[in-house]
Amino acid sequence: MEVTQFLLSAQAVESTIRKHAEETLKQFQEQNLPGFLLSLSGELANEEKPVESRKLAGLILKNALDAKEQHRKYELVQRWLSLDVAVKSQIKACLLQTLSSTVSDARSTASQVIAKVAGIELPHKQWPELIGYLLSNVQQVPPHIKQATLETLGYMCEEVVPDVIDQDQVNKILTAVVQGMNANESNTEVRLAATRALYNALGFAQANFSNDMERDYIMRVVCEATLSPELKIRQAAFECLVSIGSTYYDKLAAYIQDIFNITSKAVREDEEPVALQAIEFWSSICDEEIDILEEYRGDYTADSDVPCYYFIKQALPALVPMLLETLLKQEEDQDQDEGAWNLAMAGGTCLGLVARTVGDDIVPLVMPFIEENITKADWRQREAATYAFGSIMEGPSPDKIIPIANVALNFMLTALTNDPSSHVKDTTAWTLGRIFEALHGSTVVIVTPENCEQIIKVLLQSMKDVPNVAEKACGALYFLAQAFEDVGPASPFAPCFHEIVQSLLNVTHREDAGESRLRMAAYETLNEVVRCSSNETAGLVLELVQVIMTELHGTLEAQKSSSDMREKPNELQGLLCGCLQVIIQKLGALEPTKYAFMQYADQIMNLLLGVFACRSATVHEEAMLAIGALAYATGSSFAKYMPDFYKYLEMGLQNFEEYQVCAVTVGVVGDICRALEDKILPYCDGIMTLLLKDLSSNQLHRSVKPPIFSCFGDIALAIGENFEKYLMYAMPMLQSAAELSAHTSSVDDEMIEYTNLLRNGILEAYSGIFQGFKNSPKTQLLIPYAPHILQFLDSIYLEKDMDDVVMKTAMGVLGDLADTLGSNAGSLVQQSLSSKDFLNECLSSEDHLIKESAEWARLAISRAISG
Amino acid sequence: MADETSTPHKRGPIKSSVGSVAVQRRREHAVMVGKERREALMRTKRLCRVGVSSDSDDVPADDDMMMDEEQSVLEDQTLKAVEELKQAVGYQGKGAMQKRVNALRELRRLLSKSEYPPVEAALKAGAIHTLVQCLSFGSPDEQLLETAWCLTNIAAGKPEETKALLPALPLLIAHLGEKSSLPVAEQCAWALGNVAGEGEELRNVLLSQGALQPLSRMMLPNKGTTVRTAAWALSNLIKGPDPRAATELIRTDGVLDAILRHLKKGDEELTTEVAWVVVYLTALSNIATSILAKSDLLQILVDKLASSNSLQLLIPVLRSLGNLVAGDSYVTNNVLVAGCEITANVIQALIKCLRSEHRVLKKESAWVLSNVAAGSVEHKKLIHTSEALSILMHLLSTAPFDIRREVAYVLGNLCVAPAEGSGRPHLIVEHLVSLVGRGCLGGFIDLVRSADIEAARLGLQFIELVLRGMPNGEGPKLVEVEDGIEAMERFQFHENEDLRNMANELVDKYFGEDYGLDS
Repeated sequence: MEVTQFLLSAQAVESTIRKHAEETLKQFQEQNLPGFLLSLSGELANEEKPVESRKLAGLILKNALDAKEQHRKYELVQRWLSLDVAVKSQIKACLLQTLSSTVSDARSTASQVIAKVAGIELPHKQWPELIGYLLSNVQQVPPHIKQATLETLGYMCEEVVPDVIDQDQVNKILTAVVQGMNANESNTEVRLAATRALYNALGFAQANFSNDMERDYIMRVVCEATLSPELKIRQAAFECLVSIGSTYYDKLAAYIQDIFNITSKAVREDEEPVALQAIEFWSSICDEEIDILEEYRGDYTADSDVPCYYFIKQALPALVPMLLETLLKQEEDQDQDEGAWNLAMAGGTCLGLVARTVGDDIVPLVMPFIEENITKADWRQREAATYAFGSIMEGPSPDKIIPIANVALNFMLTALTNDPSSHVKDTTAWTLGRIFEALHGSTVVIVTPENCEQIIKVLLQSMKDVPNVAEKACGALYFLAQAFEDVGPASPFAPCFHEIVQSLLNVTHREDAGESRLRMAAYETLNEVVRCSSNETAGLVLELVQVIMTELHGTLEAQKSSSDMREKPNELQGLLCGCLQVIIQKLGALEPTKYAFMQYADQIMNLLLGVFACRSATVHEEAMLAIGALAYATGSSFAKYMPDFYKYLEMGLQNFEEYQVCAVTVGVVGDICRALEDKILPYCDGIMTLLLKDLSSNQLHRSVKPPIFSCFGDIALAIGENFEKYLMYAMPMLQSAAELSAHTSSVDDEMIEYTNLLRNGILEAYSGIFQGFKNSPKTQLLIPYAPHILQFLDSIYLEKDMDDVVMKTAMGVLGDLADTLGSNAGSLVQQSLSSKDFLNECLSSEDHLIKESAEWARLAISRAISG
Repeated sequence: MADETSTPHKRGPIKSSVGSVAVQRRREHAVMVGKERREALMRTKRLCRVGVSSDSDDVPADDDMMMDEEQSVLEDQTLKAVEELKQAVGYQGKGAMQKRVNALRELRRLLSKSEYPPVEAALKAGAIHTLVQCLSFGSPDEQLLETAWCLTNIAAGKPEETKALLPALPLLIAHLGEKSSLPVAEQCAWALGNVAGEGEELRNVLLSQGALQPLSRMMLPNKGTTVRTAAWALSNLIKGPDPRAATELIRTDGVLDAILRHLKKGDEELTTEVAWVVVYLTALSNIATSILAKSDLLQILVDKLASSNSLQLLIPVLRSLGNLVAGDSYVTNNVLVAGCEITANVIQALIKCLRSEHRVLKKESAWVLSNVAAGSVEHKKLIHTSEALSILMHLLSTAPFDIRREVAYVLGNLCVAPAEGSGRPHLIVEHLVSLVGRGCLGGFIDLVRSADIEAARLGLQFIELVLRGMPNGEGPKLVEVEDGIEAMERFQFHENEDLRNMANELVDKYFGEDYGLDS
């Protein structure tokens, strides 16, 4: 089939033509996939076809190989793998042929499709000749072929994981790439393609970076590229440097001086895209050192893998002035533009990271800049000085910050009221928030009951300022409230609580509250003020319930009367539900108000049901969270809401697409289990069915699965031996998940973290089930599962990659098993490794939660053995 | 497609808006709260068991882990922990609550880790005052829980250490209320149970502060470890010797029902604790005994006795049964009527206990049986014709002294009928002859030789029955053959006048100058 015309028509302006073409292509694909893909690859390779149809052909081909959504991606991979080998060879030949095309768009498109195919085939040991072919292609004379091939190598490195390519081939790829980057390369396009390719290939260069000669060579070429006359090459080279900074931090010592010179010249003199990358280099070095130092602090005994070279500390005297200079390069409207990112913003962000890395040392280097600029007539100087101060709040010790903050406080309050520049006011309010946040408990040192009233007054006044300033003022109040959490009676917030609440509510009603996320900031600040409030204002919080309920009711009414308002009230409803969640938690936890609050429970529940009813296909996440809080506050009397609420619970548990909604709902099931205990029994059939469905779905985001397992535990704890009928479904599910998670077989940190979450969920399920069955005559039903559970514990112990949480939960399961099964499991437990080495290791753990669990396990085991 | 423009920055600006961060935090908080509650629930379930067992005798033998930490080190750590707690309580800033909970947890851990918890050190450092502060109203559950746990462990110490809890008692009692979460109420009940177990003086304090009512209300629900802990604490609280608490308890609305329900349907551990409550109710308060006697209690106890094999449970059940039978004649006269099924079941259940391996069960069941045997002639006939008899005979010759004594009471009771009016009880010659014929006399004469006055009296009484009641005047000869004369002569100069007179009279009467002439 000739696809050219359809590919062109699919890009037509006229929608009927476009739709018809799209429809035809779709039918073609559905009726004859191999033929369709062959046509596309032929179109892409055909030099006689228009570039537009070639590009689209390549794009459709690429989308036939990969998708963002995991499940879909898996399907596409399987589909490609099952295609006829001859068809695939023909397609691949077309793709490689296109790399020699004279049309650059065709080459570029082909290189991306080749990378996708490589991403699927190389891990399956297919297409072994690809890399050899590309490497010989690089030696071709025509620059456009060289450029396309380097680009292909780069994309390929992005698609595949390092271990599917032999070191020998890696060496050859790197050699080709670095040669292409070399200053001798006269063709700019080739050099740019090589530099971008190196960025992706760096992950493969582990061995090469351990070799002094090779590393020196790579570093020299990268540094040279940062001096290229071509902006794009310089930018790409700095991107490489950033990546090297975080991937090969421990190999940098020999180059750091040169890098400093290069970056500081770029920050001062080069164009913004390059200068931003140069700053980013230092930010990422800060990231590395903060991590390493944190590890030092957290763990005295273990040898840290990577030593800290204190690059930041050494560069400090030169680095800080360079960053301070950037602060003066603000853009006029950056405060209104949410996505803004410029030199001043990057510089301040980096300065903040430097402060976190070096602590007190930064203060004397920044103070002169602040003092010099804070009173200047130019708003840029005042703003930069304030911004510098706000940026370094986190890192230095309170002792160092407090005296300065004390002096600055009054100055800033005045600025917030009187400064003619909104920029300055915006940054001043933000800096106040940073002070309150950073000083935590020490805030009380600079904020006394005397000046607190004034601070609050100024902040409330600022909430009437332009939206971006008002938003920052809300933020400052948010952190101020947080600082006074737990002060007990006589909170300085108490006297003006009413006024604060009223002001925040006024902000939410501003016509321009939609700008600068002002409404959200006001509601979240209100939440924090409520959450941190002391008992003396409990009565006022109680009054707030009615206000929020009225508002929520209003949004429901508004939704009924108009349909085009749909989007806006939904956001507002979310904020109001969030507010209810916090209020419920607050009032439910306070003795004097709990009972007064209960009179609103029915009304709140009705409103929340109303919010649910507004949407037909999905449930509101925030409303669900509020339900969780309500269940906890009302305890077993929540049972009366279950008949009406249950269908939304089901809806939430079935929401695969918005997996956060599903996760939140799973959490709420747990809350309800604890509230209702065995009264949840009538709903358990439905809930368990959906949870089991969720688990077996490969559509559902994996992060929801660990909480689902924990939820099994919640249910078993609540209904006890009634869990019996779910054992035959839940146990095999747990068992196969346990087998999967016993071995991580991965060096990927993220995967290990996920595996540990999964293990923890599984173990929590086991604990819940054992505890639920404890003392029931049905405990013997669990005996058949004991060997596997013990085996699971043994194998995660042997794997040696579990985290502390898993260790603690595992000990809990060991104890619960012995405790519930008693002498029935005595000898079995005794035979397990867990009851010996694992237990002993945990008994001598530094972590007292692990130790406590282990002591419990030991006691339970000794009783099971003697019993 | 290809990214021709600059790489979008991944780094978030330091100057960000508060809203999105706050939403994220709020959600994380909700997840964390759920996790903490699950954790607390599981932990409470575990820790209660640990505690209940720590006052029984199964502390693991291989205690090297606890021992390798020198006591002084532990004490130093405790002093430090208390200081840290004080600081945390004084601290008012961000995260203050978590700080307090952590400090409490550390102290509690120190107080839980050794067989000899460093209670003294904790008290010296002034822990009580600070812990009382941590119990203030409106405190988060986690904090209350840890505090009550610390206090529980302190209360488990020496008497004067237990007494140190005095300032904490009103708040611990207050947290028993319905407004408290179950884990908190349970932990408080536990601490109070330890205090009540200490002695009469502290029991009276607790009673005067009103601990009884909230604890008894905690017994009413159907489920959970809370009920068990409350029952255990109550059993300590009503231990007397003043019977008023026991009487008040049984008169509290719903308690009788709850007791019967838990005994019938509760799990083993719960039933055990509730049975102990019944033991003290029936031991101390006549009113309670008579109320319970008219309930279904007896049937439930008998069923338990027959169905359970748990020593922990059987002991209080047996004792309750015995108390009922001994304490209220209503039971023997109107419930355990000979010929009724329940009576046969009681005896069967008691036989099961007599046969058990456990000394305590044997002794307690013999004691109960002796109370039944003190009933009507029909009761005696029933026992006499049951399997019990041969077991009793066996026990009388082989069992340890305390069991033998109880067995002797049963056998002795079988041989006498209730006296009409005053005077010596009537003999049931048939039983006497049968028992003596099976060789029980030696066992009784052994008792006469014991230092235990009650046992000796029992032995003498039985000798008297033999001397008086055996047909054809066989008695004296039988007694002589078993070295009975020698046994009685030991009392010639005994300090107990009663026994001395009894023995001398018997010797004079049956083995006087005329003895042996006929033979």
